[in-house]
Amino acid sequence: MVDLTRHPELLDRLASSYALGTLRAGARRRFESMAREHPSVRVAALLWQTRLASLNELQGQQAPDPQVWQRIERALQAQQAEQDGPVQPARAMTRARKPARATEPWWASLGWWRGAAVAGACATLLAVVTGWNLHGQRSAEVAQLQAQLRAVPQDAYVAVLQDAKSTASMLVTFDPRNNRLTLQRVGNYQESPDRSLQLWAIPPSGGPRSLGVLDRDKLLRLAAGEANVRDVSALAISLEPRGGVPSAGGPTGPVLFSGTLIQKLP
Amino acid sequence: MSAFSAAGAKTRGFGFTHNPAMPLPSQQSQDNELIDLLDRISRRDAPAFKQLYDLCSAKLFGLAIRVVDNRSWAEEVLQEAFLVIWRTAPAYRASLSPPMAWMGLIVRSRGLDFLRRRATERGHLTQTLDDTMADSMAHDVPSPMDTAQASELAWALHQCLRQLENRQREVVSLAYVRDLSHSELAAQLQLPLGTIKTWIRRGLEQLRTCMARFA
Repeated sequence: MVDLTRHPELLDRLASSYALGTLRAGARRRFESMAREHPSVRVAALLWQTRLASLNELQGQQAPDPQVWQRIERALQAQQAEQDGPVQPARAMTRARKPARATEPWWASLGWWRGAAVAGACATLLAVVTGWNLHGQRSAEVAQLQAQLRAVPQDAYVAVLQDAKSTASMLVTFDPRNNRLTLQRVGNYQESPDRSLQLWAIPPSGGPRSLGVLDRDKLLRLAAGEANVRDVSALAISLEPRGGVPSAGGPTGPVLFSGTLIQKLP
Repeated sequence: MSAFSAAGAKTRGFGFTHNPAMPLPSQQSQDNELIDLLDRISRRDAPAFKQLYDLCSAKLFGLAIRVVDNRSWAEEVLQEAFLVIWRTAPAYRASLSPPMAWMGLIVRSRGLDFLRRRATERGHLTQTLDDTMADSMAHDVPSPMDTAQASELAWALHQCLRQLENRQREVVSLAYVRDLSHSELAAQLQLPLGTIKTWIRRGLEQLRTCMARFA
């Protein structure tokens, strides 16, 4: 192996490629290990990283939508509330069902979702449908729902999302063949114009992942890969600032609807 | 230095005759203003945070768009980046970087993270060239470089980049901002791998010679 410390020209060349990111694979690893051993190699790399980082500063300006600042502000307020207050809006609903430890994020206290057996969830689904029949209400919706469930292809996933009073509010189906997630509003809930509903996948571990933001239509289709729903035990819908919030930060508003996601047996 | 100044003076548009090795007074005072704001933010000063956003969001949003090439994704990236800035402002001084360079790195890394997450979710990359870049590559017209709010060091790089051929500059810039390998660049730009390698090598070679003057 060439001793880079004796070849300043070569060192400079490698350091610039390293910092640009075009030095890859074995050459990159060799350079990194030399940088760990020789401060002069490390210095060359840092110098080029610093120089090229200026490329970030040379891009043109574009004004972001004013909503972005509003979302940042709300996210900060939510973080602040998380640190200060004992009861947060986002946690209020789960608290009503089962007291959660104050230090837990709301999704961590949703064990009851994960514990729900498939059979139980199916029973719920059935009860929702027949319950409406008994009341002789919404027969049109029920017929529509049943037709939709029949039309669901094999191995599809379904979820009925309920509100705090266990009223079905949203029917979610996933069609893996078309990578399509369909949401149908079945309640009368309508968010205010400055708010949006956002759908979240709750995996068995880790935080919620955003699956998309709902528009105001009764029926909504979102593109989603099966990987997005396969390991998911539950779905939840939170009320967010209009346009939704980034997935990485998790929900910032209250959870309005939630339910177990079940894979329909063939 | 004389050859360099002559090249700079000939280039139209910028009216830039100042020796870039010396900071412009306005750049310095702007850096100081941003540093002051970051200090206040590290003491959880919310109005300072809003001021920083007002001063820097357009610049950083432009970068976010360049990285992810989609306005609404760039908004997510910008939002995440500012939350990171709020959280990590206490670490700013230790970075020993100009404030805009520090924030630019945060935005780029959030943007690249965003693209990686999407690639994992979708199983493939759907990234394409933005219009400006496509135009620059197709017609060899320079895409605009914006030196507003750029740090002293960025002025130096800007001077050196201006000496590259437009396409070389674009490829170097794209490789860095989007963290692309030779073959990824070749695929995105639909150019032979050998061409990409040559442009990058020559571009970097020229930058090395030019930047040596500023070391």
